[in-house]
Amino acid sequence: MQADLTLKSGRRGATLDIQLLILVGILVLVMAVSTALTPRFLSYVNMINVLMQVAMIMLTGSAAVLLMIAGAFDLSVGMVLALTGVMYAFMSKNGIPTPLALVLSILIGSGFGLANGALVVGLKITPVIATLGTMYVAQGLAFIVAWIDGGANVTTGLPRDFEVFGRTMVGPIPLFLLIVFALILIFYFLFAKTNLRKYAFAIGGNQTAARLSGLKVGGVVLALYVLVGTLTGFAGMTLASRMGSGSPKVGTGFEFDVIVAIVLGGTSIYGGEGSFLGMILGALIIGFVGNTLNLLNVMFFYQTVLKGLILVGAVLLMRQLRSR
Amino acid sequence: MPEKLLEIQNISKHFPGVDALRGVSFDIHRNTVHCIVGENGAGKSTLIKILTGAERRSSGSILLRGREYNPRSTREAMNFGMSVLFQELNVVNQLTVEQNLVLGKEKVRLGFFRRDPQVVARMYEVLRSLDPSIPLGKRVAELSVAQKQVIEIAKAIASESELIIMDEPTAALSEEEVNRLFTIIKELKRQNVTVVYISHRLREIFEIGDAVTVLRDGQMIGTRQVSELGSGGEVGSTAELIKMMLGKVVAERYVAGGGGQGAPVLELRKVSNAKLREVSFSLAKGEILGCYGLIGSGKTEIARAIYGLDQKQGEVLVAGSPAALASPREAIRQGIALVPEERRSEGLFTRLAIRENIPLMNIRSISRWGIFSARREKSLARSYIQKVRIVARDENHPVEKLSGGNQQKVVLSKCINADSRILLMDEPTRGIDVGAKEEIHNLIRELARGGTSVIVFSSELPEVLNLCDRILLLYEGRIRDVVRNGPEVDSERIMHIVTGAKEA
Amino acid sequence: MKNRRVDLQKLVLVGILLFITVVFTILNPRFISGFNLMYVLIQNSFVIISACAVTLLMISGQIDLSIGSTVCLAGMAHAWLSRAGLPVGLSFLLAIVVGLLVGLINAVLVVRLKITPFIATLGTMYMGRGLSYLVSGGLVIREGLPDAFSYVGNESLGPVPYTIVALVAVVAVFLVLERRSVLGKYSVAIGGNRTAAMLSGIDTDRIVSTLYILAGAFAGFAGVLMASRLGVGDPNIGIGFEFDVIVAVILGGTSLAGGEGSILGMIIGALIIGGLGNGLKLLNVFTFFQSIMKGFVLVLAVLLDQNLKLRLGARAGARRAERSRERA
Repeated sequence: MQADLTLKSGRRGATLDIQLLILVGILVLVMAVSTALTPRFLSYVNMINVLMQVAMIMLTGSAAVLLMIAGAFDLSVGMVLALTGVMYAFMSKNGIPTPLALVLSILIGSGFGLANGALVVGLKITPVIATLGTMYVAQGLAFIVAWIDGGANVTTGLPRDFEVFGRTMVGPIPLFLLIVFALILIFYFLFAKTNLRKYAFAIGGNQTAARLSGLKVGGVVLALYVLVGTLTGFAGMTLASRMGSGSPKVGTGFEFDVIVAIVLGGTSIYGGEGSFLGMILGALIIGFVGNTLNLLNVMFFYQTVLKGLILVGAVLLMRQLRSR
Repeated sequence: MPEKLLEIQNISKHFPGVDALRGVSFDIHRNTVHCIVGENGAGKSTLIKILTGAERRSSGSILLRGREYNPRSTREAMNFGMSVLFQELNVVNQLTVEQNLVLGKEKVRLGFFRRDPQVVARMYEVLRSLDPSIPLGKRVAELSVAQKQVIEIAKAIASESELIIMDEPTAALSEEEVNRLFTIIKELKRQNVTVVYISHRLREIFEIGDAVTVLRDGQMIGTRQVSELGSGGEVGSTAELIKMMLGKVVAERYVAGGGGQGAPVLELRKVSNAKLREVSFSLAKGEILGCYGLIGSGKTEIARAIYGLDQKQGEVLVAGSPAALASPREAIRQGIALVPEERRSEGLFTRLAIRENIPLMNIRSISRWGIFSARREKSLARSYIQKVRIVARDENHPVEKLSGGNQQKVVLSKCINADSRILLMDEPTRGIDVGAKEEIHNLIRELARGGTSVIVFSSELPEVLNLCDRILLLYEGRIRDVVRNGPEVDSERIMHIVTGAKEA
Repeated sequence: MKNRRVDLQKLVLVGILLFITVVFTILNPRFISGFNLMYVLIQNSFVIISACAVTLLMISGQIDLSIGSTVCLAGMAHAWLSRAGLPVGLSFLLAIVVGLLVGLINAVLVVRLKITPFIATLGTMYMGRGLSYLVSGGLVIREGLPDAFSYVGNESLGPVPYTIVALVAVVAVFLVLERRSVLGKYSVAIGGNRTAAMLSGIDTDRIVSTLYILAGAFAGFAGVLMASRLGVGDPNIGIGFEFDVIVAVILGGTSLAGGEGSILGMIIGALIIGGLGNGLKLLNVFTFFQSIMKGFVLVLAVLLDQNLKLRLGARAGARRAERSRERA
């Protein structure tokens, strides 16, 4: 009896580890194949390029992984990413000092997080529908602001310091990458060491029990939405600064990349379990695969198809691992 | 004697750690109302699950009309002519009465319904014979629970069910509705339908039952013809049934605790809500207070009201000062913790480890400034594993892999860790095997000796008689009597009060 | 009570529709002109055509996010096949089959592999979009299309444009399906209480699969009509289309949890959104406001639905409490 128990329980604890191992394997494989196919893959320029794409997914993913573990979703991140970038450009162009514009654009992200949280927690609207709604609001706003500016993107007439944040180098590495990775580290700490972790796992695992245990279920979910919004705002601002323009089109499919990275990393779509490191690995895989296909001049359209397949495949893989 | 419809022969069912049924045998005769009684955990629901294909038996055999009967799913059981009135009513609220009645029986051609006046007419006839007052065109959502039950019964009859199992069908019905149901059950007998009737209310058994089987602790105690027991009005007739249900329960293990002295730590004054009628009582420091009654008597509702889960009118005093207790959070802050009835769905985070479960009611016990210490979490868990004797590989053992008793100990640890002075324990040993039951009881006694006040909400009389210093007797949302436990306590009188057989 | 609720919702919807009609007519009399109304109807016929099947699907408690991609993919397939020299009629049918296949994939993912509808159809949504780009390498298929390609979308049967004929036909078919067919009735039963439906002998898996396939096929039909009307195959079309469909369905009183809803309500919902969009456009309000407006309308529609339900729930609760009091 005792031996039997040990065996059974050992299995489940190992599920995530197996998943992480598989992910590392896939990552190594992807990198090896990529390097073999195109030597350019490992070049400095390309690595910085990939890391920039991946860093944005990871940044939003750092908070979104907790949100998904708590059993909620955010589909609006892609459009919020676009909107905050456009707003950053628009504000600094129209006389607001760049540092202030920078902070304000991040706060716009927080504001959308707050709105999502209020809709889901306060008005009890299903997360999918609520964030689908705010997604369209953000998209509309991004296009309107760009249109008011007089074009498809906010590009011309930006102050000189607009690009400072995205272009400053520290040795061979862009400053913003260091800051983003520092933020990701902070969130890893939040994920691994703070009560937020406890709350998220408890709420996603059993909301009723969480409430009966006296946890502030609504407050935690609201806070997580605000964190996701804030980080997305930061990512949007960074991207705009790096590219030197605010474009309402940058965020298309971003929410999907984030969700795929998180699900690929072993987080259940029903909440209650998940892994930060898995999300990091998932983001790297998504980023590297996309990048290699780009380098090989495989059209970007295959990537969307591929990502759809990866998502479904990841869900099935998780189920397989769990049911064994 | 009518022929045998169902022969249950030496059925056993083992769950890990618990024998839910042990060698149960009895016959159900055609055209009778066969009642099954027993306390919670006696094995009634397991037996029903086996009969309806929701669970497979471990050993033994069942003969239906003389032939082997071994359903693998509820649908298969239904094809054998067996229907169940589910407690969670199986009707589609959004459809009309008529649509519900013919659901799945429509004549279909190329995916389109052919109006079949015959089917509708037959269903209507069945329904009218049961309850002519239900309009066919009305949406089921607008009907009462009793009327929904009638629709389920009509569906069962129309699908030519020979045997209908009714599991506590009167739990949510009013007096008048109960009477109508009984008329229907008598009508069913005339229509050649056999009924298996499960209830706690002994009065009902005397009113409609032909035979009654008593289960206790997974064993069959006996089957009697109701006519042999005498009529329900006399106290003497229920006495034998009550004796069979209780067995040799005496309060022999009860040791008077030191509790019950001093100022009350919790006091309810005329607390009412949709399910409770002016409930008043007080709880002393170190006291174990029992709250005994059948399902639907309001036990869980009292616990929920105190814990801030349901709205309430009236006054609640904690340690002498009024407390609103509007949410679990507030209750926990006042030193009150709940061990819920549904352990797995309300008390535990089954996918998390023991270590992770224990501090969740009081996260501060392992964290400072919002940062938790894995080391403290581990040592905390280890100390509880030792203190309440949780049998597990180690503190990383996932809770879902634990036995019921050990799971309950985890819930208990969670509550103790919340520094609670008042413990509300709803059915603390349901679904737990005998050995672990005793352990939980000892833990409760230990806690009380340490000064914690405990309210045990239970529908098992032996449990409250073993544990409690005082016992509140509940019937239909009211406290009918309060009994001080001791050697002279009259368990039969208690049973009469809570089954409504006699006014207090 | 139940009937009153649904009627109340429809009444509110019709009221809103009348209200915006009056307001826009006052602001710009052109709004009420026959030409403009026909234009609004044609513009929204694509949403309504595919939303008919989606309404039934959502009544059964499911959701399909891949509709927009399917509309696009079918349009691209139609254009590509026509350009490749296939008779337009045949290419028309084959493109609808493409949509049907996407629905089939959704059905397999949801019913067989038991992936949450939301995730499964999000997956096919991205796959469909990617495939649409692949058909032409991301370019709009404009050159080399036969004249017949634009026929259905721009010609009329007597005074009635073919698009409207198709709209009326599809709506008529689905109104019959809703009221008379297994699909209509059983989708309500499945959405209302899946266990009860299963125990009543309904093959719930088959019904749900059929609904997904229908949703795909009619999204294909809408896509083909749209491509014909535009006279091109455009891989960027249909972004956010699924959103329009879902908003119309929910606004029309279909509960997200399933179990209730109506095609008639959906049509009114679609017209409200279409009318709003058109009115704003006539007032020269920028198109992107529409996307914001839709976001708000969606959230408001869900709130309205919840509110009505809550009030009724409270009333039912009060009734129950009263009963138990009588008994005590």
